[in-house]
Amino acid sequence: MLRRTLAITRKEIIHILRDPRSLSIMFMMPVIQLILLGYTATTDVEHLSTAVLDQDQSVQSRELVDAYRASNYFDILFYVATEEELGRLIDGSEAKAGILIPAGYGRRLTADHEASIAFIIDGSLPSVATTAFSAAQTVAQAQSTALIERLYNIDVEAELGIAVRPRVWYNPDMKSANFMIPGLIAMILQVQSTLLTALSIAREKEEGTIEQLIVTPLRSMELIVGKVMPFVAVSLFNLLEVLFIGVVWFGVPVHGSVLLLLALGVLALLVSLGIGLLGSTVAHTQQEAIFLMFFLMLPFIFLSGFFFPVEAMPRVLQWISYLIPLRYLLVITRGIILKGAGITILWEQALALVLFAGAMLLLAASRFRKQL
Amino acid sequence: MTGRLFFVIYKEFIHIVRDPRTLAVMFLMPIMQLILLGYAMTTDVDHLPTVVLDQDLTSQSRALIEAYQASSYFDIIRHVSTEEELRRVIDKGAFRAGLIIPTGYGQNLENRQNPQVSFVIDGSDPTVARTAFAASQTIAQAHSLELAGQRIGLSLETLPGVAVHTRVWYNPEMKSVNFMIPGLLGLILQFMTTLFTAMAIVREREHGTIEQLMVTPITPLELILGKIVPYVAIAFFGLAEVLIIGVLWFGVPIHGSVTLLLAISTLFLLTTLGLGILISTVARTQQEAMYLSFFTLLPSIFLSGFLFPLEAMPRALQVISYVIPLRYMLSAATGIILKGVGLRVLAGEVFAIAVFGIVIFTLAARRFRKHLE
Repeated sequence: MLRRTLAITRKEIIHILRDPRSLSIMFMMPVIQLILLGYTATTDVEHLSTAVLDQDQSVQSRELVDAYRASNYFDILFYVATEEELGRLIDGSEAKAGILIPAGYGRRLTADHEASIAFIIDGSLPSVATTAFSAAQTVAQAQSTALIERLYNIDVEAELGIAVRPRVWYNPDMKSANFMIPGLIAMILQVQSTLLTALSIAREKEEGTIEQLIVTPLRSMELIVGKVMPFVAVSLFNLLEVLFIGVVWFGVPVHGSVLLLLALGVLALLVSLGIGLLGSTVAHTQQEAIFLMFFLMLPFIFLSGFFFPVEAMPRVLQWISYLIPLRYLLVITRGIILKGAGITILWEQALALVLFAGAMLLLAASRFRKQL
Repeated sequence: MTGRLFFVIYKEFIHIVRDPRTLAVMFLMPIMQLILLGYAMTTDVDHLPTVVLDQDLTSQSRALIEAYQASSYFDIIRHVSTEEELRRVIDKGAFRAGLIIPTGYGQNLENRQNPQVSFVIDGSDPTVARTAFAASQTIAQAHSLELAGQRIGLSLETLPGVAVHTRVWYNPEMKSVNFMIPGLLGLILQFMTTLFTAMAIVREREHGTIEQLMVTPITPLELILGKIVPYVAIAFFGLAEVLIIGVLWFGVPIHGSVTLLLAISTLFLLTTLGLGILISTVARTQQEAMYLSFFTLLPSIFLSGFLFPLEAMPRALQVISYVIPLRYMLSAATGIILKGVGLRVLAGEVFAIAVFGIVIFTLAARRFRKHLE
């Protein structure tokens, strides 16, 4: 039994080695994803290019503009004279925000202690707009506090200022690489191995070579295990590759046990292989296999919490996300790497993966056998 | 010429229709992407599950908790009595934030001795953490101001200060879906045409049928055009799907000219089809073609500003983003749909898309011809 399985594994390895280009892509893909995600995946926008229309030209208005400049969020790059000009800059995306200080701002502030300004934000990119929105308010709030202190001769900050000492756990610098790299490990375990498994069996079907394998004394279990072995190896290699670059290059701290990560990684691979096998029993051609897997992987990626927090999604999508194994795997990889969580904390997620693996493999094996 | 071209197109259509499952996937894919991105892609963090450890238990500490509860950012769901318990629930991921009010907080506030609280944030997701971080400060700041107002006998509304009237242009409710739809248009055009064109040509080569086509009087140009046209049609169908569902279901407003959008999209197709043909001259198997298409698609998605704002990226990647055609398509589609701008504002983008299209398509056509000969 073992000998026959190994023979299939050898055959599969020869297939893979014969196509060095695909092989190198297999190993390069995670690195490219790592670099792209590690560097680009941040919504932390500072230094938003900002245009100012100061119709007041007073000491107070200049003070306010300086306060905005000092806030780090806004780079005052343009001074304009008319609202049309302001509109044109924002229309052309040269400026993403505009501060409009109306005439009489300074006078009203000294006389009535109250004045208002308009703050224009380009809302087309919501993640940037929400940050700019709250930053615009915070700066003005600080100005107001300073005004109150001057007027009533109290020191709000020292006397009543509630100092909030933030403690950011697990990822104190809030680096996106620390969040994305454990996620990428989960994604590689899930997506790449599923796709490769489905493709390799669909190729045998498309080329008709699967019939040749069936007439040999091979049992279907041996065929499956033999075929997927190399992909398990590739996936585990990629896991270590990403982990290594993540730690050495991006400085991601690994707080938990790498051994536990590998053990649960193998468990996750079983789920992926099950899904890949199931996909290959449905698809007749490689093209179908590719599309089918795409179709499946899209919701996996978007509903699992890989990019966007599951809590922020509508209820219905949150329910669906419980059916996505990647959701549990993400909690596991992020938990182990960032939080240093052990199996006592992650047992629920591990149990979910065990159930998925069992169900998928049983289903796939029974369908596969029937087809052969 | 048109007769022969028509037959190649006809043949390709038969291929596509014969595989109804793939066809269904082609049509369903844009809808699925739209729904997933429209609903799932939201970074607005509100109602973050929050746990409170109130060691003070005074009316002042309760007032602070209420101030946090009243903001839409935090949902205070649970009170715990020890720090260990707080740590455990945040470790498990059940709660993302924790407010710790130490003993003596109320006393310090009465004595004007700079009261302090701690705010624990699960930093693993930086986007969430950053919003929570800023919100935790803003709420406390506002609470301080309110207390200061009480002391000098003024309510929050009558306090002196600068009022900021924020106007969010183009997308007043800052809905993610409004940004996603223009982006998705460009992405679908690129994804469908590049991948499908490359795979269709490579499949022909893998099966050896391309030789049969070459011995016919069909010229390479007719062959290319014939193979491309069906996928262009499908891509435009996908584009229409996204626009219609976006407008009718998600209520995305289209402020600019749809004709201009279609014209620029057609221009953009030169680039994506060219890429598909280029890939087909390099790849020998369908698997390779798929991988190579991915390879071009990944940087496009990440460096075009589709998922993450370009401004937040390191300089070097920002520079690279200038050679990503999707970047210009994205900016043109966003400009037309959300901002309602016209050709005058988008001249730079259109020029870039045209240059990319002409260069890549010419290169592809030349390589393809050489490949056949």
